[in-house]
Amino acid sequence: MNEPKIKKNIQEIQPIAPYPSFTLRLYAVWYRHVRVYTKHLYSNGTPPFFEPLIFLAGIGLGLNKYIHIINGIEYLQFLATGLVVSTAMFTATFECTFGTFIRLVYDKVYDGMLAASITVNDLLIGEIIWAGTKGLFFSSAVLIVMALFGIITNPLSLLSPLVGFLTGLMFSVLAMIITSYVKTINHFNFYFTGFISPMFFFSGTVFPTNELPAIALPIVEALPLTHAVRLSRGICLGNINPTIMVFDLMYAVFFIMLGGFCAIKLLKKRLIE
Amino acid sequence: MEQIVIKVENAQKTYRSQKEALKAVKGISFIVRGSTCFGLLGPNGAGKTSLMKMIYGASIRDNVPNSSISVFGFDPVKDELQIKYLCGVVPQTDNLDQELTVKENLLIYAKLYGINKTIANKTITDLLDFMELTDKANANIKELSGGMKRRLVISRALINKPKLLILDEPTTGLDPQVRHMLWNKLRQLKKEGITILITTHYMDEAFQLCDELIIMDQGKKVIEGTTTDLIKNNIEAYVLEIREKNNVTQLKINPDSLKDIRKEIFLNNIYLYSDNYKTLKNITDNLDSINYHLRHSNLEDIFLKTTGRYLNEIQ
Repeated sequence: MNEPKIKKNIQEIQPIAPYPSFTLRLYAVWYRHVRVYTKHLYSNGTPPFFEPLIFLAGIGLGLNKYIHIINGIEYLQFLATGLVVSTAMFTATFECTFGTFIRLVYDKVYDGMLAASITVNDLLIGEIIWAGTKGLFFSSAVLIVMALFGIITNPLSLLSPLVGFLTGLMFSVLAMIITSYVKTINHFNFYFTGFISPMFFFSGTVFPTNELPAIALPIVEALPLTHAVRLSRGICLGNINPTIMVFDLMYAVFFIMLGGFCAIKLLKKRLIE
Repeated sequence: MEQIVIKVENAQKTYRSQKEALKAVKGISFIVRGSTCFGLLGPNGAGKTSLMKMIYGASIRDNVPNSSISVFGFDPVKDELQIKYLCGVVPQTDNLDQELTVKENLLIYAKLYGINKTIANKTITDLLDFMELTDKANANIKELSGGMKRRLVISRALINKPKLLILDEPTTGLDPQVRHMLWNKLRQLKKEGITILITTHYMDEAFQLCDELIIMDQGKKVIEGTTTDLIKNNIEAYVLEIREKNNVTQLKINPDSLKDIRKEIFLNNIYLYSDNYKTLKNITDNLDSINYHLRHSNLEDIFLKTTGRYLNEIQ
């Protein structure tokens, strides 16, 4: 007799809790990052434009005198179309290694945010989308500079920042997986020197992958940047091979899904005891 | 009808690392009634924070039979978002967003609750006023003093107009002025109907704020009750502290010869407890006033009586 009565009482006092929808929660997390980033608009917003300029000067004035044509493309074009996505790789990697670690361990920003009505999944997915956004922004910056100098001229190249977005997503989930294991911030040096730097050089950004020994090709093909560079170059130069492009896109999507799943699972352990 | 806001039954928490398993909470039960202030007391490492985190979903309780936690009828393991929506949390460390200003911190937080901008701005103005931070609205976090940071964290926890406010050692490290100001504000919030759950190891804080409390030690509940009942039922009314054991030799009366006195020796001090003020007063007759202190007993005496005077290995 007593049982249902107690239950009823609990229901009576249970207040309604109209917490925000999944999309709104993701947006709130993303918005936090945008707000922090744009706070220092000048120091955060100008380097992405200067970096390609430095490359142009360095390569255009120097290296370009010795290398003119590579795989039937002007070397500056070859390099520029690679830089459009490698820049997204670097920014997303920084964001989700050092950035994520500092928010997690030093500033404890996540602890604060997680006390509000969001879940760990919301927090991390929001962060991944933010890293993608940064990739998109950095790609656009390179594209704008290259277009201004008449190096990338194909209108289709306006789509390449989307590849930058995907690149940002891929490298943020990868970085988060690394971050979930890292005990001290100095360990990231191994990841940068041992993985990100070689990735930049051996994924077809600065020279074609077919120059590499045959034995290295499957490894190169497994690296995420290889696919990003191929997509970007195809789009920017207008020589699209649909089969390869679909394959590269599927690789990216699969990488983001699987990597994102692992990253969230691993980082969750450090956020919820 | 009496409203029960939190119901904790046989809550347990084990932290597992590769080497060992540490049991921080060893089966605790209690009930927090609506619009009251409930205190979790205990020395460092007693399991207060672990228990608190299980309540608002930042920590997952051990999955053992007959163990449950309910907050407004929601289970933190399943209904994390509902509970978070109804609660405000003030953590032990000030985890403010260092890169944002005072106002921005609150604005971003309001966004996490899906509060629209007009309402958020209005609430923020009110909260900054309530916590006397209006002058600092556009200051960076680094410019704030410890007390201001604490007040901001509490403002942040109030942004969603919570029905339950959870505070983990809210006044640790603050000066007396700020502590008293915060106590006042918390009492005001309680009057407005907010239920408060607070951990502290300051007995005066518990005495100032809590209607009911439990004292925890090494993951277990040692004692529970209302603040006044606890003092009435668990400890003699008066305490005589004598500094320097040697002074005892000067005493006219040997305390051991008296019946209604309980004696405790710790390090170099002697504590004599009694319900009879006169007995204790007589003892002090030929002591230098600098060497003794005769006073009402308080929660701290119960705390030390139940959890021991010596430090344990995790303190």
